[in-house]
Amino acid sequence: MKTKIENVLKEATIRTFEDICFMYLDPELADSQKNLEPEAAAEVTFHGDMTGKLIIESRGGLYSAMAINMLSHDHPSVQQKKDALGEIANIICGNIVPSLGRRKEKGYKIESPVYLDKTAWLKENQRKPLAEVILNFNQGRADIKIFVDDDHKTREIRD
Amino acid sequence: MALNTLVVDDSAVMRAIIIKTLNLAGLPLGEIWEAKNGEEGLRLLQDHWVDLAMIDIHMPVMDGEVMLTKMRENDQYKNLPVIVVSSESDPAKIETMMEMGATFIHKPFTPEILKEVIMEVTGVSNENED
Repeated sequence: MKTKIENVLKEATIRTFEDICFMYLDPELADSQKNLEPEAAAEVTFHGDMTGKLIIESRGGLYSAMAINMLSHDHPSVQQKKDALGEIANIICGNIVPSLGRRKEKGYKIESPVYLDKTAWLKENQRKPLAEVILNFNQGRADIKIFVDDDHKTREIRD
Repeated sequence: MALNTLVVDDSAVMRAIIIKTLNLAGLPLGEIWEAKNGEEGLRLLQDHWVDLAMIDIHMPVMDGEVMLTKMRENDQYKNLPVIVVSSESDPAKIETMMEMGATFIHKPFTPEILKEVIMEVTGVSNENED
């Protein structure tokens, strides 16, 4: 189950970055991309057959590059960068939630994206995600994690 | 025919992406108006001639479903082509809006998809290819 969700998450992330950010996957994660500190993070909470959140972290220049590409603007404001990161998280989340849970017909409610400060990000990173993908794009690295409430996680992994 | 287009989305970044993709699609565009919720969108419809409305679902003040409902209740806009651009995953919500005559585009989308759907719902052709 975990592998299936990670495959869906990977596919949704690649397509979102290609179509919305005009960025393309570099299949190999270079050594220089492996130990980068996160520049920014945003989360989107979802409620439905399962409840949880998707967190996106940007590294290696991705944060600015996303906003520049999305807005066609060389100097996006801090707020525009936050909005761009949140919008990408929202789109990826909308594409991943139909793969979560068993009662697909129930649908999911997705909350507005929230930008995470470092304290909130550190707190979230103490938890173990249900699924995680690390993708290196031509303009930086994206780490995407799906967290679900503990009872859902046990059920999904067992299934 | 140049398409006067109304883009309704609470995210300024998403409105910019939609407009950028519209331009990349190579369709004949006229004026483009932006609104950040359904209420603003309805006001712009009153003040301008619009050929196509592209609306999000989840917005504060007035969401896309209410905006579409109000449009369909008004003789002036009841047949206006509407494309719902959203990452919505609830099939019931999508079905409700399609029953009101809207066409659904799921995010993310490419200029090619946007072009195909706009040509279908508005009947315009790509003048750049003539």
